[in-house]
Amino acid sequence: MTATAGTTAGTTATTARPSTRARTSPRPDMPAYARLDLRRQLRDRIGMFFVVGLPTFMYLVFGIGSDDPVGTGNVAMYVMISMAAYGAVTATTSVAGSAATEQVMGWGRQLGLTPMRPVAFVATKAAVAMSVAAVPVVAIFAIGAATGARGDWSDWVLSGALVWLGSALFAVYGLAVCLVLRGSNAAGIASGMIVVLAFLGNVFTPMSGFMLDLGRFTPLYGYVALARFPLTDGWLPVGGRDPLWLPIANVLAWTVIFGLVALWGVRRSRART
Amino acid sequence: MTPADVPAIRATGLRKAFRSTDGSPVVAVDDVDLTVHPGEIVAFLGPNGAGKTTTVDMLLGLTTPDAGTIEVYGTSPAQAVGQGRVSAVMQTGGLLNDFTVGETVRAIAALHGRSDRVEVVLDRARLTDLAGRRVEACSGGEQQRLKFALALLPDPDLVVLDEPTTGMDVGARQEFWRAMREDAALGRTIVFATHYLAEADEFAERTVLMNHGRIVHDAATTDVRAAYGGRTLTFRPPAEVVDADGIDADWLARVRGALEPLGVSDVDVSAASLEAAFLALTADTEPIGAAR
Repeated sequence: MTATAGTTAGTTATTARPSTRARTSPRPDMPAYARLDLRRQLRDRIGMFFVVGLPTFMYLVFGIGSDDPVGTGNVAMYVMISMAAYGAVTATTSVAGSAATEQVMGWGRQLGLTPMRPVAFVATKAAVAMSVAAVPVVAIFAIGAATGARGDWSDWVLSGALVWLGSALFAVYGLAVCLVLRGSNAAGIASGMIVVLAFLGNVFTPMSGFMLDLGRFTPLYGYVALARFPLTDGWLPVGGRDPLWLPIANVLAWTVIFGLVALWGVRRSRART
Repeated sequence: MTPADVPAIRATGLRKAFRSTDGSPVVAVDDVDLTVHPGEIVAFLGPNGAGKTTTVDMLLGLTTPDAGTIEVYGTSPAQAVGQGRVSAVMQTGGLLNDFTVGETVRAIAALHGRSDRVEVVLDRARLTDLAGRRVEACSGGEQQRLKFALALLPDPDLVVLDEPTTGMDVGARQEFWRAMREDAALGRTIVFATHYLAEADEFAERTVLMNHGRIVHDAATTDVRAAYGGRTLTFRPPAEVVDADGIDADWLARVRGALEPLGVSDVDVSAASLEAAFLALTADTEPIGAAR
């Protein structure tokens, strides 16, 4: 029986003890860990519904067939960028948020007993978050390309890159929220709040008047305005124009704010143990 | 590479205080000295809050002591963990619910750089048949076995077990200790914290009793028992004097009479323990994960 053979082999292997045996420090195989973690994230059906399913659905409802011109392209293109941004941000928020929650809930202690360095863990999680974020961007841009979204080739490339790379800011946001709230549902709260911030940030429906003035100060506004800038050159659907410095200032300000909150959260969680 | 006389654990003057919720400091571990030699099996006993878990955390480099020094195989705990010489089953160590058992082992194996040991530890913790099951679908005892498997991944010289059998039923607990005993026979040093006194009694060669953050007794388990527990003599009465109502009173009176001249008093009749009865009644069920 093969199972028995395996057992015997294992037992003899461990007999080569005790501490006289030379110890080589083994190297952590981070790509293998990243692959397993990525697969776990992608197979979470509910999570992936909010990351890919919902924004795709909203693009199909609001974007398809809208051929009215916007900047160098059309409305379909404008909606496509917005929804891809929403999907990407939901992805980074939930991956980073769940990473923080995993740490707090005890998986971190399990990882603490391996030779892996914390910085390697952060890098791996960032890679996983950015991989998951790429899924809605690629999927929605592909659907957009197939269903009449129109713009200069540079709009496609620049917007895609800005949507994807900019979503990293919300990894910091997810981390910050989960470190401050702790608890097992913190990641859910963080990505739920993304929906609210998306409305305020002019992502879903064009806003005007007071709501627009207020929205300019919310974190998703700058990110999505920047991602749409190649297409719109700053012109808003309701009229008026944002100068380029406005979304950039918004993104920088929120990067600092989320970074500081996350840092404070890390300090606080360390102090407790 | 390490001389044989370097202790597995050498701690001197360990101290750790926490701030409690109302802000006042609580001393969890207070001036603890401890040396454990390679190959020893040591039980940490004590009520909840005695400082066992905090001591274990310092052993593993998860908590830095406020004062005192701690060395594991002559290096710092963090370094020993990095080299895979120490590992642990932790009471508060978590698992990820949406990994399968096999993925959990593969993930931690990757971080140890020991993907070659996945099959070995699955087999040792008798989890091979459960490898495809999600962690959230596993019973408490199965999750505990999974943590044990993770602890074996780096092929450590020292295993620290903090309440390792929590959530296991009686059969699984005995099975677990049987596996541990096999491991100890291969020369692993084992330190475990428990509040099941019977486990320490049966398994540990040496018992360290902790209370209020201090070591109150540290000796061979048999000595601890002799010093505080006294001894119990048991015998089995002939079958014809025992019925459902107990032991025949006349016969018992004769036993008392016969023992009195020998200085024996307080003869007490007790039934088999519930644990023994439970085991006897459920013994025909296969041990978990036995060869199928």
